[in-house]
Amino acid sequence: MLKILKLVFSNFIFLILSLIIFSSMMTVLLFISEFIFFEPFFVTHIPSGSELGFSLIVILSILSALVIPMNLFRITHLKNSKQKIGGSIFGSIVGSVAGACSCGPIGFAVISTFGSIGATATAFLTNYEIPIRILAIVILVITYFTTIKSLKTECQVNF
Amino acid sequence: MKKKGLILGIIIISIIIGVAASVSSSNVESYDIDMTRTHGSISTAMGSPILGDPDAPVTIVEFGDYQCHQCHNWFLDTKPMIMRDYIETGKVNLVFVDFAFLGRDSPKAAEATYCADDQNKYWEYHDSLYTAQESKIDNGWANSERLKAFAFNLNLDMDSFNECLDSGKYSKRVQYNSQEARDNGVRGTPGFFIIGPDFEQHPIGGAQPFSVFQRVLDTMI
Repeated sequence: MLKILKLVFSNFIFLILSLIIFSSMMTVLLFISEFIFFEPFFVTHIPSGSELGFSLIVILSILSALVIPMNLFRITHLKNSKQKIGGSIFGSIVGSVAGACSCGPIGFAVISTFGSIGATATAFLTNYEIPIRILAIVILVITYFTTIKSLKTECQVNF
Repeated sequence: MKKKGLILGIIIISIIIGVAASVSSSNVESYDIDMTRTHGSISTAMGSPILGDPDAPVTIVEFGDYQCHQCHNWFLDTKPMIMRDYIETGKVNLVFVDFAFLGRDSPKAAEATYCADDQNKYWEYHDSLYTAQESKIDNGWANSERLKAFAFNLNLDMDSFNECLDSGKYSKRVQYNSQEARDNGVRGTPGFFIIGPDFEQHPIGGAQPFSVFQRVLDTMI
């Protein structure tokens, strides 16, 4: 497993891509979940009882930063199928959408635009934020291991 | 001729009685509020009673929804410290204005607070709603029955509270407050405006920690 990770991330472009995915996902998700604020001052804040939500965001960002570049590596270097990148992007999006709505500006915009359907969707995404994030993490973990497995096989064949 | 006059008289009296009866039984929204009350650009006339010293130099206007979990977080984490350091010391007062947009139970919960206000228990009821808030929106924790149960726990007169809540006496008041939020550019809850003595107005979006409020308030007092 470590050999595969070294193979992918020894390539500078994929390392940078991974860092960009991690930092941008962390920043956006922490901001929309109100763990960081930029106005009127930059401040970080984890309210009591929100530690699990914070941890899931960190795990989700780390997994996305690992799985998406690994699958892009498969596509660009090994010219293989794009099937697994679908799983990694799907997992990242599902994890990001959960909790994005709630009572913040995104939830308000969704409810204002889509009315009662938007309100129902917002309520669902808010009520099941933690289970949806856990589901997204499960999808990303499965994608991670299947990607490692297929990279092992494909690299043995190709190199 | 006399008979015609008598019939006409009866008709006129019937109409007067009918009109009087319909006016007395209709749901006329009349409540004792100061319609001129504003804080900065915000009309808080239909909002909560003022928490703290009404003559305090600084006012925090909070826009909130009783089903919003971030409002709940702010209520638990930040508000107690603001109460202790600023409101109880007479430096700041606070007005809560409803922005009930999250779910179907949100407006009803906001209306219930004004029904409690009729019995001078607005803030006690407000606090009991945020204390009892459950994490799921519209799961029934703030339906009419539960709202009545909260009132019962505060020893409110249940006949008048139930009549107030069931009649929708304060529905327009809550709608007015939510419109006031939109008019002032509030795009989520909780949303705050801190208004200083010279009407300078600082917006703070979201359930920000005490340190942020402290920094803003200390520059204004």
